[in-house]
Amino acid sequence: MERKSEARSSVPPEGGQVPEHGATLVIGLGNPILGDDGVGWRVAEEVQARLQVLGNGQNARVERFSAGGLALMERMLGYPRAIVIDAISTGEGPAGNLCCLPLSAFPDYSAGHTTSAHDTSLHNALKVARLMGLAVPAEVWVVGIEIHRAGEFSERLSPLVEAAVPDAADKVMALLLNGAEKVVAHDLT
Amino acid sequence: MTERITIDPITRLEGHGKIEIFLDDEGNVANTYFQIPELRGFERFCVGRPVEEMPVLTNRICGVCPEAHHMAAAKAADAVYKVVPPPTAKKLRELLYSAFYVTDHTTHFYALSGPDFVMGPQAPVAERNILGVIHKVGLEIGGKVIQARRYGHEVIEIIGGRKVHPCTSIPGGQTRGINEEERTAIEKMGRWAIEFAQFSLQLFADIVLGNQEYLDLILGDIYTHRMHYIGTVDENNHVNFYDGLVSVVDPNGRRLGKYAPEEYRDWIAERVEPWTYLKFPYLRKVGWKGFVGGEDSGIYSATPLSRLNAADGMATPLAQEQYERFFETLGGKPVHQQLAAHWARLIELLYAAERWVELATDPEITGDNFRTVPTETPSEGVGIVEAPRGTLTHHYWTDPRGVLTQVNLIVGTTNNYAPISMSIKKAAENLITKGTVVTEGLLNMVEMAFRSYDPCFGCATHSLPGQMPLEVKITDARGETVEVLRQYC
Repeated sequence: MERKSEARSSVPPEGGQVPEHGATLVIGLGNPILGDDGVGWRVAEEVQARLQVLGNGQNARVERFSAGGLALMERMLGYPRAIVIDAISTGEGPAGNLCCLPLSAFPDYSAGHTTSAHDTSLHNALKVARLMGLAVPAEVWVVGIEIHRAGEFSERLSPLVEAAVPDAADKVMALLLNGAEKVVAHDLT
Repeated sequence: MTERITIDPITRLEGHGKIEIFLDDEGNVANTYFQIPELRGFERFCVGRPVEEMPVLTNRICGVCPEAHHMAAAKAADAVYKVVPPPTAKKLRELLYSAFYVTDHTTHFYALSGPDFVMGPQAPVAERNILGVIHKVGLEIGGKVIQARRYGHEVIEIIGGRKVHPCTSIPGGQTRGINEEERTAIEKMGRWAIEFAQFSLQLFADIVLGNQEYLDLILGDIYTHRMHYIGTVDENNHVNFYDGLVSVVDPNGRRLGKYAPEEYRDWIAERVEPWTYLKFPYLRKVGWKGFVGGEDSGIYSATPLSRLNAADGMATPLAQEQYERFFETLGGKPVHQQLAAHWARLIELLYAAERWVELATDPEITGDNFRTVPTETPSEGVGIVEAPRGTLTHHYWTDPRGVLTQVNLIVGTTNNYAPISMSIKKAAENLITKGTVVTEGLLNMVEMAFRSYDPCFGCATHSLPGQMPLEVKITDARGETVEVLRQYC
């Protein structure tokens, strides 16, 4: 049996500090086997493909992730800017509706701890990190794709959500290429 | 008029658990229902896939404890292929699992249960979170929590290949081992984790055990239930998270027996109720007598408290000291005060950290033989581990090619569904009486009844905002809404 040579073997420094990356973190969030909940992963894959065509000159790192709160905050450490792509359920508008807003535009519903019995909200997690003096992103953007249900296991997206993937990728690319102001101005019109 | 009060902690992380409290004409609690609209189809989703995919696939069931599903699936796949992993592989898996326990129990205590006690159950909801704990206890605590999680995730990545969703456990063992340099790093992080666990227990002693009001809450009747308990034990009947037999004790602490994974159906049956998707497991040999406790009722729980009750002790020295103090303080075994699960969880945190170091310093941990290649024709197998929130059972059937034909899972929290329902009802009965105003703190104390079980019912893996986290709905006997109170927090 051969061991992988790239295994990590050093003890991380105390206090949770990590090296700064300088890149924008694009993070597709969701459960890839829970139907429309996996749309964040699909959009992230689309963004990665487009960046590869462009040669990733935008200094972006694309990841897919399946946890929120503290774990999501920890994944963001060291990045000056993060774009989260996620399924979202506002109950307003058809499935596939898109929004592109800074995280601060979302209410922190879990200022208590009822959002999750096992974690805290991303808002709170970022506040904790800032209190600790950790290098959290100065900017966190959310590209949200409206979904209506994700209660059944499937690797497929529903048609309306599937159709929204290219447009959602457009929004992420616009954030990367044009900066936030132009995208948000467009989004609010 | 009958009123209905609904506590609706909506979250896509854990599914949509909803507590409904029905009041009678006098304003007293008539009945309570804890409803779980279960996410459906996972077992069917798995059929037709190769069984060796299950350790990676099942850790996507839930974003909270993927490591537990990874381990249970790997053990079930071992059994399907009738293969025993070599000692190095078994120890690597248990080492990863111990580090996972440290991260999970740490998060639960500091982000969830800790705020109830550190801030107090009557504190404003906006303060009952990890930020409130940091503000009250000090900045140092936040750094320690993040450090504990980080170290745990580092170990999971070193052994499991990824920080959160490990991928290296396969039928017959592991895809890779660790070298001496990695072992040294793991050991160093484990020694820090032991100190952190001791710090956490001291914090609990200072803040909770040193506060008569909280002690009364734990020891009082509100959160006390006599029931059966189960938990996995090693050959010395000490708590073990990864391997062993499942010990079953009755409400008097008498051991009814121990079962091996493949015997689980002889011991555990499942009850269906029309008002919820989730089934209620109970002890088959004792029988279902409704939502009541006692020796004659087959209702059992599987929590950190249950594991301590079902075992004879802890396998590591510092945790054993705490185990003895726990039962001395609470009046002997078994302990039926369900809020004591929070204390039990911290004792398990210490055990996990000690076990982490024990395994990291085991001479076999860096061995080269970390997989036994299966040679038997696959058929059927059961794998059991102790997930942080209860005994986790995976049962697979395959055709001779190893393609799944049937899957059955009993996940950790499912074991506790009936006890959670009973605890909520009892808490509500004690806290809501005629003329009592339903305040936020009071509702939180009802929620505390189920939070002590650390419930987890879902599998969507994150929780960007989209719904209100708490809704109180009062409905009259005709089903018409009288008032809706929302707590957006």
